[in-house]
Amino acid sequence: MTGFLPLLKKEIIEQWRSYRLLIAASVFLLFGISTPLTLKYMPEILKSLASEFPIEMPPPTAAQSLAEFTGTIGQVGILIVVLVAMGAVANEMRRSTGVMTLSKPVSYAAFIMAKFAAIGLTFIVSLAVSGAICFAYTVWLIGGASPAVFTGMSLLLAGFMLWSLAVTLLFSSLFKNSVAAGGAALGSIIAISALSAIPVVGEYLPGALLKWGNDLLAGTGEVYWWGLGVTAGLTVLCLLLTPRVLRRKEL
Amino acid sequence: MTAIKTSNLTKHYGAVKALDGLNLEVPENVVFGFLGPNGAGKTTTVKLLTGFARPTAGEAIVAGQRVRDGNLALKALTGFLPDVPDFYEWMTGQEFLQYVGELHRLPGAEIKSRAAELLELVALEKAAKRRIGGYSRGMRQRLGIAQALINRPKVLFMDEPTSALDPIGRKEVLDLISRLRQNTTVFMSTHILSDVERVCDLVGIIDKGKLVTVSTVSALQQRYARSIFEMEFIENPAAFVATLKNIAWLADAALVNLNGKPAVRVRAVDIGIARRELPRLVSASGLTLERYELSLPNLEEIFVEIVKGGQTK
Repeated sequence: MTGFLPLLKKEIIEQWRSYRLLIAASVFLLFGISTPLTLKYMPEILKSLASEFPIEMPPPTAAQSLAEFTGTIGQVGILIVVLVAMGAVANEMRRSTGVMTLSKPVSYAAFIMAKFAAIGLTFIVSLAVSGAICFAYTVWLIGGASPAVFTGMSLLLAGFMLWSLAVTLLFSSLFKNSVAAGGAALGSIIAISALSAIPVVGEYLPGALLKWGNDLLAGTGEVYWWGLGVTAGLTVLCLLLTPRVLRRKEL
Repeated sequence: MTAIKTSNLTKHYGAVKALDGLNLEVPENVVFGFLGPNGAGKTTTVKLLTGFARPTAGEAIVAGQRVRDGNLALKALTGFLPDVPDFYEWMTGQEFLQYVGELHRLPGAEIKSRAAELLELVALEKAAKRRIGGYSRGMRQRLGIAQALINRPKVLFMDEPTSALDPIGRKEVLDLISRLRQNTTVFMSTHILSDVERVCDLVGIIDKGKLVTVSTVSALQQRYARSIFEMEFIENPAAFVATLKNIAWLADAALVNLNGKPAVRVRAVDIGIARRELPRLVSASGLTLERYELSLPNLEEIFVEIVKGGQTK
């Protein structure tokens, strides 16, 4: 991991100056604010639009608001993770910035880990801020909810997000074209998430983390430690493979 | 002392022999020009010497370090300028040098002073705080040289350092390279012969993955000197030319016009005899000699002769 700290510093400054942090945080924040607002005022909006045929909607619940927020982040948020990370390695290799950096006394592992840490940090911060705002709005507009449960849900979502990031970085090191890398990464994430719907097998896959989060909120008491373990293992495996792939490519 | 030494360095890409048994020694503190046509194996050699590619066979020692995967000590002792250096456009020139200095783990104060020194060396001190995104190609090339020098490398690898530059940018970069030899060995791959002729102490010519020759430019000129002599006199040399036409060891003698003046050009059958005997004949002619020259080929002519003729060392 030689050279990790200066590489991390550069990646974090890049996240800031390229507005990636701002864009990711803004999109997440938009979901954090709009989800409880929409749920709260949608029945009244519908009532005013369809006064002749009134639509009866059950009053929104805090659980519904928080579940919708995590559901949106679990789909659109992951798409943004892939979009941000797909060029992280591929673009550096296509241009000669990667070669110039790696011609200095820094390890390939540090080069990849700095990207993972900086982009991961961007999304964790965005998730934390937007989640806190969503929770506050939900409590204010709809009703009380357990902060511990929501924190647990958010942590599981963060785990899924980091796994998605590690997968995207792996594909970004495999392809020189960032669009191809993003397509392959998104395809893999969707395929593995789809497999999570298969009973029993699904409990051992990363998709189990999202299911665990929803079960936490519903209070069913279901836990998926194997799913968490496998996700952590796959994340580490991707992070170990990515520098090796890069080295074998002979820049 | 040897800065770069390769033994049977070989690289195959499938059935293609990109580099075929390179044996090369480059002494310290010289500018070494690695010359060859496109696809000859120059970039492959640079990749192998900088550790970005693994050899199929053989080995290389650079700055006393064996070149192998992950040898960070080697990277600390060398500098590298790729053929088209690219930068993080959002950084300023100064920030980029700061970043590179940090990657080399230089102390903060040293990075600051070294960056200032290098920015002055490459004439970028006025643009130091401007974003690299606004730099011209020549400025980027000079910044590329500065970043490669931040660690005071023992060996500096430059892949086609002037190929993308206009004549002024090329002159600036070549002037800079010629100043570097005081402290650094420069290994410069190029296909621009005039650059080599201008700054390189030693030349290696590679063709189809094989090293054809290593020599100084002047030794190459002597080795490939054609057996043509040119002479200029104050008087008209027509009578002297008639005399020379009857000399057995001369294949040809002619009166030619050089720079608006009549001159004598002779082609020798045996260059050794001609070198020895021709001055004697000139002396005996009674003419006043203004210029006497064994015509030397330029590097371009030698290069074409070597590569087309397939001559070996």
